[in-house]
Amino acid sequence: MSERIYLTDVAMIHCIINAGTADRILLAARDMGARHAIVHHARGWGTRERMGALGVAVETDKEVVSILVSSNQQDVVFDALYRAGNFDTPGQGMIYITPLEKAATYVPKAIRDRLDLDEGIGG
Amino acid sequence: MTQYITFSNFSQARRAEHNEVSFNLVALVPELDEKGEPIPIPVEPIKLTGIEKLRFIQPYATVRFMDQAKAVIPLALYLILFKLLILDQIFQDGWLISGGLFAVIVGLMFFMEGLTLGLMPFGEVIGSGLPRHSPLPLVLFITLLLGIGVTFAEPAIGALQIAGQNVDVERAPYLFALLNNYSQVLVLVVGASVGLAAVIGTLRFLYGWTLKPLIYFSLVPVLLLSLYAGSDPDLIVVLGMAWDAGAVTTGPVTVPLVLALGIGIAAAAGKSESGLSGFGIVTLASLFPIIGVLLLTLYIATAITPAEIIEAAGQAAQAAQGLPLGWYARSPGVEIVLGVRAILPLVIFLFIVLKLVLKEKLHSSGQILYGIGLTLIGMCIFNVGLTYGLSKLGGITGAFVPGAFMSVETVPDSPLYVYKVGLIIALAFAWVLGFGATIAEPALNTLGITAEELTNGVFKKKALINAVSIGVAFGIALGLARLIFNLPLLWLIVPGYLVAIVLTFLSNETFVNVAWDSAGVTTGPITVPLVLALGLGFGNATNAVEGFGILCMASIGPIIAVMTTGLWTRFQANRQLKAARQETEISPGEEAPAIL
Repeated sequence: MSERIYLTDVAMIHCIINAGTADRILLAARDMGARHAIVHHARGWGTRERMGALGVAVETDKEVVSILVSSNQQDVVFDALYRAGNFDTPGQGMIYITPLEKAATYVPKAIRDRLDLDEGIGG
Repeated sequence: MTQYITFSNFSQARRAEHNEVSFNLVALVPELDEKGEPIPIPVEPIKLTGIEKLRFIQPYATVRFMDQAKAVIPLALYLILFKLLILDQIFQDGWLISGGLFAVIVGLMFFMEGLTLGLMPFGEVIGSGLPRHSPLPLVLFITLLLGIGVTFAEPAIGALQIAGQNVDVERAPYLFALLNNYSQVLVLVVGASVGLAAVIGTLRFLYGWTLKPLIYFSLVPVLLLSLYAGSDPDLIVVLGMAWDAGAVTTGPVTVPLVLALGIGIAAAAGKSESGLSGFGIVTLASLFPIIGVLLLTLYIATAITPAEIIEAAGQAAQAAQGLPLGWYARSPGVEIVLGVRAILPLVIFLFIVLKLVLKEKLHSSGQILYGIGLTLIGMCIFNVGLTYGLSKLGGITGAFVPGAFMSVETVPDSPLYVYKVGLIIALAFAWVLGFGATIAEPALNTLGITAEELTNGVFKKKALINAVSIGVAFGIALGLARLIFNLPLLWLIVPGYLVAIVLTFLSNETFVNVAWDSAGVTTGPITVPLVLALGLGFGNATNAVEGFGILCMASIGPIIAVMTTGLWTRFQANRQLKAARQETEISPGEEAPAIL
């Protein structure tokens, strides 16, 4: 039996939001079962430039939250994040999901035991 | 013969080595309530088995252990090899010293980790919060008290107290009294001086004072008091310790904590951090304790006579012989008591400020408590290691080195070499020790980067590191030479600082800031005890009255070296500029208006 475990049925949710508002996204994701996230600091470009005088109202300092979810989780998490991030309001950023081919990380023994790998889930 | 494998076979073979698992089997999906809303899932802690926990901690601990080991092991190896190869002596108590050095490494590892987790966040909360909530005089008063607290918590201060146990009361009564009967008062005075330096340094950032006049004003009393003490045969022996006290204070606790508060005050006053604002406190914090210690000595000199001290010490020794020492007065109990006494006051003080003045709660207080606990444990382990490892190693080496050129009891067949050769060996040993201990100092690297940024790349990081290391190397070698030839410390310090004053006058503000601060960063918690013990061992072996005074030479060395390098860099730059100008004069043309 091999130690290596590759995870499939994984998707990545990205939320691009105004700087300083990542916490409510993180909390909402946590409640929906997605407990880990990366927050990137970022700068947005484009909207502000095309908005004329109103452009000053567009924040250019952004945060990008990346959250790894399972395919069964993705819709419920996406839904929760949509509401937490107020993405139906202008100027609040955007959210998207991409399917991922594969992911791998250290899987704790407690979870490996639960998966019962010897019974041949894997290849 | 080459064997061909199809790529599909290859990837199948690879696939056989792993399991593909759907993330759906692991990830939790919330259930829906009757309205179709998802029900939040409570967060459960991650459970790990024992081996997993070890594997998790291993890289975390290794990095921190290696950080300290990198500083301790090369120095220790150097001393041991020097003794083995040049002096042809093997260390007795090798295991004890190795254990002690291991304790130093582990102790510093815990201490530094605790500092980052526990004390620093505490300091930052106070540094950013206090100036906004409180009037300036209160803030400055708290800065003063903080200076005392951090001095007690400085690991190298313990080395000064340990060094005091070896002073001969008959020959240096006031030095003995300062380091034994008055040792707590001594640390208090040094701490108050550091506090005062922090206050003045803070006022400096607030009002944008330049450092040069501050240096002149603080050097005048320092030099005058030293000259006065130097004229009195009873007081002259204290000079070395007083000057060394300045070098001991600026360590890993003082500098960041005091700076955090100072920068917080400047930020609250709306002064943006102008590159140079962090400087100056370190300089003043290494000059003021000299004044403090000398004033304390003068006070003690008026209060009691040498005869009284000798008598009291004799009585104390007799009394101590009679009764068995309690656990707290014996090693390792005494080191633990010292460790707790060093950390607790600072923690309690910070806590009181936070609760009473700021009325704020600590974020992640669990982590901060853990950090403080680590600091405490680290300090105790470090103190034990200091006694059995660093101080012992330094002391023994110091006691053996004179064997190279003169006859000492500890080394059979000494002198081992012809006088002049042995002398050169001893001085070269000190030089290399100073250079090696400094060049690896992480704080120096940081200072080098800052200096390069401040001077827009004119003063290269490497140039600064080299200048400081060479300065320390010559300083330590000179300090040792002073012990060998039994010269008064004043003969070296007064001209040294006069040269420094002239150079300060000639240099521009940036170099003055960098140069004077570079003296403070070089004396970390490993170098200080080692060099102190080395000097004392050396002094005992050569029958000098006291072995202090090496560290302060290691402070003045880099100041002079850095400013000289700075002046040289400026001279070179000017010469290039002149050459460039001459060229444009020869070919007058389009470029001239562009330069203007």
